[in-house]
Amino acid sequence: MFSNKNTKKAKIKENIIDDSTIKVIFFASTVIVIAVCLMGLISYRIAKYSIIEKLKSRDLKYIAQSITSKIDGRISRAKETSFILAKDPVIIEWLEGKEVNETIGIYPKEKITDIAKKYDYDNSFIVSKLTKHYWAEGGKLIDTLSEQDPDDAWFFSAMKSKLPIDITIDYNKERKDTFVFINALVGEGDNPLGITGVGLSLKDISKEFESYKFGDYSNMWLIDKNGQIYLSEDTEHSGKSINEFLPTSVVNKIVNNNISTNLDGEIFDYNNSYGETFDVVCMPIKSANWELVFQMPRSESISMVNGIKLNTAVASFVIIILIVFIFYIISKRISNPYKRAVLLSQELEKKVEERTKELKEKNDKILDSIEYAKIIQESTLPTRDELNSLFKEYFVLWKPKDIVGGDFYFVKRFKEGYILVLGDCTGHGVPGALMTMSINSILNHIINEENASNPALILRKMNKNLKETLHNKNNGNGIDDGLDAAIIYVSKNNKLIYAGAKIPLYKKDENDITFFKADTKGIGYKNTNDDFKFTNIEITFKDEDIFYITTDGYIDQNGGEKDLPYGKNRLRQLILRNEENSLEIQKSIFENNLNNYMNGETQRDDITLIGFKP
Amino acid sequence: MERLYIEGTKSTPEIDFDPSKNNLKISGQSYPENAFKFYEPIFQWVDDYIKDIQGELLIEIEFKMPYINSSSSKCIIMLLDKFQDAFDEGKDIIINWYYDEENESTIECAEEFKEDLSLPFNLLDSGR
Repeated sequence: MFSNKNTKKAKIKENIIDDSTIKVIFFASTVIVIAVCLMGLISYRIAKYSIIEKLKSRDLKYIAQSITSKIDGRISRAKETSFILAKDPVIIEWLEGKEVNETIGIYPKEKITDIAKKYDYDNSFIVSKLTKHYWAEGGKLIDTLSEQDPDDAWFFSAMKSKLPIDITIDYNKERKDTFVFINALVGEGDNPLGITGVGLSLKDISKEFESYKFGDYSNMWLIDKNGQIYLSEDTEHSGKSINEFLPTSVVNKIVNNNISTNLDGEIFDYNNSYGETFDVVCMPIKSANWELVFQMPRSESISMVNGIKLNTAVASFVIIILIVFIFYIISKRISNPYKRAVLLSQELEKKVEERTKELKEKNDKILDSIEYAKIIQESTLPTRDELNSLFKEYFVLWKPKDIVGGDFYFVKRFKEGYILVLGDCTGHGVPGALMTMSINSILNHIINEENASNPALILRKMNKNLKETLHNKNNGNGIDDGLDAAIIYVSKNNKLIYAGAKIPLYKKDENDITFFKADTKGIGYKNTNDDFKFTNIEITFKDEDIFYITTDGYIDQNGGEKDLPYGKNRLRQLILRNEENSLEIQKSIFENNLNNYMNGETQRDDITLIGFKP
Repeated sequence: MERLYIEGTKSTPEIDFDPSKNNLKISGQSYPENAFKFYEPIFQWVDDYIKDIQGELLIEIEFKMPYINSSSSKCIIMLLDKFQDAFDEGKDIIINWYYDEENESTIECAEEFKEDLSLPFNLLDSGR
């Protein structure tokens, strides 16, 4: 029983989640997934775009600016130092005296030594125009320059240029180091006494480069106007041209651009032959007519975007899961009442089914019982043989409304004739049938050879008898039962005597129909007095005349367009139309005609119609 | 006195007894399985109503009954008898019986009822 219930529930669940539900869920889920993915994609795009924007407009520039300012600062300081040396009156005096005065000489020598030591310069020097002596830090005379020596060319060209300050950059292959020399002219600009200055290695700046290095594949170069690389975080690049690392178009842009005019630097991007995007920043170094080039693959600069990508994907996934979960909970809540309604209706259906079955069983039982009652009732009705022996020709249309009924007919043969009784007891169905049974016994009891030819008397006796039987014992319960009846006594000399209690008689002869009215009182009813006298009517007939008697069921049957009773007139017309036919055929005509008139309406009352030739 | 209203069915007539208008109407076919059961509350109401009537009121009773089976017909007779008794006691009662011209049985039926009564009983063609 229990498992049965469970399987049933599962079945119901299956019913609830049918094709359309799945379609709705699928559709909703798809919409949610698309919406969330779209949202994620859009936010990723926006983040990526703003990151690139920031990178281009701020980050890259900021990096380049901080490096250039560092170099600038370094060079500017070296410039100042060189200037101070060049304007020193003691040094000027010493050089004017061809460095002979030892006393004066102590000061310049100490000075350059101090500067190199204390201010973190690699070199510090004084070169005399007059003696061509090269004094280095430590106060040592390390060389006497010669115009023939190409290594010393810088001195002579600087002297010739008469620029108060000149910067030379020198890449030393052996030491893999770049040195910057700041050369300042000593004395008056027109007639310089020599050159003094400092030299510094850019090694520490190169270290800075490394600290600014963004990714594994980014490059930072310090170049001059011709694109020569002096400094790179990758020492391999130093001394080479940027042509080796950048496409010509980019190099042209960098080199040909008048860098000094745009102090803010320039940022642009390009795609290499593999389709990878690179961002390039060029930043001029004011103090030295150089340029800082910072090149970096886009993929690296926005590598954090990959993190965003992952985060967005994870967030989207979590949101989808959450929404689906909430959606599931909500749909479950929504579908719950529906589910319960379905369960309830199924339960009700089952109950109705059970009740229907119960009712059907009971109905079958009752029907069986009534069917059996019908056999009993029919056994009290005259047999076909009996009727055939009495009438020349006849038909009986006996149609109880409910299997059994209150209509009955009765015949009895006597020496001189026979008697026909047609009765219609109040009610129909089982109560009617019960009445007929008691009437039957009353009839058997009161009709005899003596009174057979006096139907009115029989009716009177029936009335009295029935009233005694039905009413004496139960006065006041309101029941007023009885019957309508017609009694016909047919004698052998083509005469019959008719008496009717509300059941009239029709006689059809060759010309017309004669209607014999019945007495208006029924039998056994309260308003029919005990001694009410019914009326005998004597009728003579010809052999071919047909008599019809019927209970009110036939003429009272409703139908037709107006849903009115069939009526006596229709019956008269039908009898007239029927005269040519045998009684056997007439029976089916009467039956069919009424059925057509009813047109599906239910039968209202028991129907009996008897036609006979006596 | 409360108004008595019973909705009509296929086999029972509509009952509309309105004491405020002194108008009692019965309209519809009458062939219930148990006519007495149907009419009993109506009898009860009519008894109370008649007892209640004060002064010279004209009570109009309308019947529009195309079909009455025999047991219902007994009940209608009982009902008419109650009105007849009230009439005999001096109450002003008039009965109007409406029929359809084509419906001969209701005319016959009404005529039969009328025979036993002395109160004003009008047979009226409902088509007119």
